Amino acid sequence: MTAEELRAAIARQFGRSLHIRTLDTGSCAVCEQEIRLLAAPHYDLHRLGFFFTPAPRHADLLLVTGPMIRAFEVAARKTYDAMPGPKVVVATGACALGGVYPEDPFTHGTVDSVLPVDVWIPGCPPGPLALLHGLGVAVGRLAEKVRDLPFTAPSYPERDGGDS
Amino acid sequence: MTLWFVRGIRRGVVTTRYPARPDETARYLPTPPAFRPGTLTREIADGLAAVCPGRALRRDGGVLVYDVGACTACGRCAAEAPHAVTGSGEFELATTDRSVLIKRIPLRGEAL
Repeated sequence: MTAEELRAAIARQFGRSLHIRTLDTGSCAVCEQEIRLLAAPHYDLHRLGFFFTPAPRHADLLLVTGPMIRAFEVAARKTYDAMPGPKVVVATGACALGGVYPEDPFTHGTVDSVLPVDVWIPGCPPGPLALLHGLGVAVGRLAEKVRDLPFTAPSYPERDGGDS
Repeated sequence: MTLWFVRGIRRGVVTTRYPARPDETARYLPTPPAFRPGTLTREIADGLAAVCPGRALRRDGGVLVYDVGACTACGRCAAEAPHAVTGSGEFELATTDRSVLIKRIPLRGEAL
């Protein structure tokens, strides 16, 4: 099943009720903090039809944070196998995308070395708005736009503080 | 909450569109940097790659390879070369293709 078919299937089947299982594979917990904020009234994830579930067997989407430490590999595979299809794996944060930890005897360094990742969400941590965008991409509600971002100034205006 | 619930029952729509309105807090978020190709030399690019604590920046010949996915928006590159690096303001960067997050930024006076 291609990613495109998977996205269409999820939009069709889970358009208004998509259940998320979060999986911490060695993250520093700031990603988890941002994920928790999604359920707070300010962002109110549930109005969009997303829900958190504690059981992988009830989950449609696996939200994976952390650099995939080797000690967690078996648990991660079991979690993925326990989920009913169609399922989506979302790698969340710079650790999961391979930006922070190298591949070494303790970590795999990236999530996609163990699980088949469908959506990548950059950020350290990705804020609730970035996570919402990522969930939207996962169910095909929001169009692709990242490919055309240049990341060269002066395409972007000068920013007046507040930025790191 | 109550109004939202009653409206949902009446219309049969229980979810809302996203984004309902722009979030004004977004501009305070730390965001990945953007680079000025006209001011980037090989020396500056090497300096930026040296201060990057992750593996987001490296120089490949006449190109600065910038992995947005690996960037933690720490701001060290902006502190190293403030005239060449600025904030991008982009944070909604989720993608289904990892390779589109890797940007190749040409250095000054060098062909791609």
